[in-house]
Amino acid sequence: MASQLSFTGFAWKNLWRRRLRTLLTLVGITMGIGAFVALVGFSRAFEHEWMRMYTSSGIDIAVVQSNLLSSSIDESLATKIGAVPDVAQVAPMIFNLMDLTPEVNALVYGWRANSYELDSLTLLSGHRFHDGTPEILLGDLLASNLGKKAGDMLSIQGTNFTVAGIFHGGSALEAGSVIMPLDQMQIVAGMEGKVTAFHVKLRPAPAGESYDGYVKRASATIEAALPGTRAFPAAERANNNQIVVLAHSVAWGTSAIALLIGILGIANTMAMSVFERTREIGILRALGWKGRHVILLILAEATALGFAGGLLGIGVGWGALRLLSTLPQTASVVSASVSPLYLLESLLLAIAAGLLAGAYPAWRGARLSPMEALRYE
Amino acid sequence: MSSPLGASGPILEARGLVKSYDEGRVEALRGVDLKIDAGEYVAISGPSGSGKSTLLHLLGGLDTATQGQVLFNGSELGKAVDLDTYRSHQVGFVFQAFYLLPTLRAAENVQVAMLALHEKANHRAERAAALLEEMGLGARMNHFPNQLSAGERQRVAIARALANDPTLLLADEPTGNLDSVNSAHIMDILRGIREQRGMTMIVVTHENDIADAAPRHIRIRDGRIES
Repeated sequence: MASQLSFTGFAWKNLWRRRLRTLLTLVGITMGIGAFVALVGFSRAFEHEWMRMYTSSGIDIAVVQSNLLSSSIDESLATKIGAVPDVAQVAPMIFNLMDLTPEVNALVYGWRANSYELDSLTLLSGHRFHDGTPEILLGDLLASNLGKKAGDMLSIQGTNFTVAGIFHGGSALEAGSVIMPLDQMQIVAGMEGKVTAFHVKLRPAPAGESYDGYVKRASATIEAALPGTRAFPAAERANNNQIVVLAHSVAWGTSAIALLIGILGIANTMAMSVFERTREIGILRALGWKGRHVILLILAEATALGFAGGLLGIGVGWGALRLLSTLPQTASVVSASVSPLYLLESLLLAIAAGLLAGAYPAWRGARLSPMEALRYE
Repeated sequence: MSSPLGASGPILEARGLVKSYDEGRVEALRGVDLKIDAGEYVAISGPSGSGKSTLLHLLGGLDTATQGQVLFNGSELGKAVDLDTYRSHQVGFVFQAFYLLPTLRAAENVQVAMLALHEKANHRAERAAALLEEMGLGARMNHFPNQLSAGERQRVAIARALANDPTLLLADEPTGNLDSVNSAHIMDILRGIREQRGMTMIVVTHENDIADAAPRHIRIRDGRIES
């Protein structure tokens, strides 16, 4: 029986005839999509965890300095915020990413001992810290990575702290974080009298007013009362705080470069392929193939490269995320949870990359006249 | 697919065909007029560079003339008749160099001509197998071109030319790469196909015995028809 030839089978045979080149091209697009999945996935998971932290702590509004990337506000403004009628509680805070050991870095928070945010944490051992004392609470993941327990000592930026307790929080960010008294954090960060933000908890929304509308109205009231500040609903703050913004920027920038390299790889492969197959394209045209059939064939090959590279890249990116989420150096800020929608988005991006890369070679192939192509040596 | 049989007038007509290259510095054809009736077997011969292959390529819609017209059943190619559609539906080409795709098996090489016509895959495979059986290649249909002899490759190419059941069979030096035994075999096959199917066949050749064996023999020299 004669073997059947389908259009896709023909495209596959064309890719398979240059196995090494096809594999190298796949490596390129795999790395591009892998970088996208890992980096952008990381930054999105980071934002998601940040949101979970706000939600679990009951934060409704974050008040920061208008200049978002280096927010530093007088701690004394807490009183003015507290005077806004809708505000129930105000928690001044500082956060920063710090090296705890040469191998381990973590998010470090400075909170007041009476902050309502502490209420959302589950103390696994030890006790809460006291203001004015060099004590810290360690998230359970970080404590495990550092091998610390309640009562141990930990040096942060040259200051020795006693581990007052180990806690479990509502998000991966808290599990890998350090919390110390605000006054101690101000000394460590060189921000005496200053805070990064105020986390505001509102009174219950008035009857008949939606939560979102209520938060927006309260945010506007706070901004009006404190010129030079911005009051963000917690959901917005989760994606515009300086660390998340930085993570997003680095992730998109790096993966865009990796993707561009992958796209150029496919474009180069397809252009070379069309160049080498000039006479074959002439034969197909002589057999009655229209220009659009040639375009379809070349795009099918480029798309197949994008699709296969996308699947492999998702595997590589996911694997990288899982690895990073287990390493002590990165476990506190990396979550391996990636939504299926995001993986689908990555696959579609890979297919689009294939189509984009194949467009010019396909157009060039379709423009070849049958006789010119047949005469090609 | 339209049938030429029963149509009035020539199936193919060339009117004042001129084909020049290099911005007119080289003239391959210098005003060729020609009429070919449906079912005719025509041989075109001439020395190298005389323009015989160029004429065949223009008649087959592979190339376009610098001046003049080619009409298929009275309709002008490239204007009233789309060249791609004309080649896929009406023309079967056989080339001197076979032009088989090296990565495809014999049967797949035949099927590739049918891919553009969107037939069902099993129909394509069945038709390719039947054509290769007809060419005496039933046992070789899953071989790659480099596993076939020159004569077998040309028979695969003939099967491919017949894949879409064309009305015109155009052969450009079909025996040019074959020894005398295979040449005779291939010409027998081509003549047999024409007789069985009532096709119009044009064979370009530089071999006098092949040309003289055709019922109509056109001689071409320096881009003009001599006789």
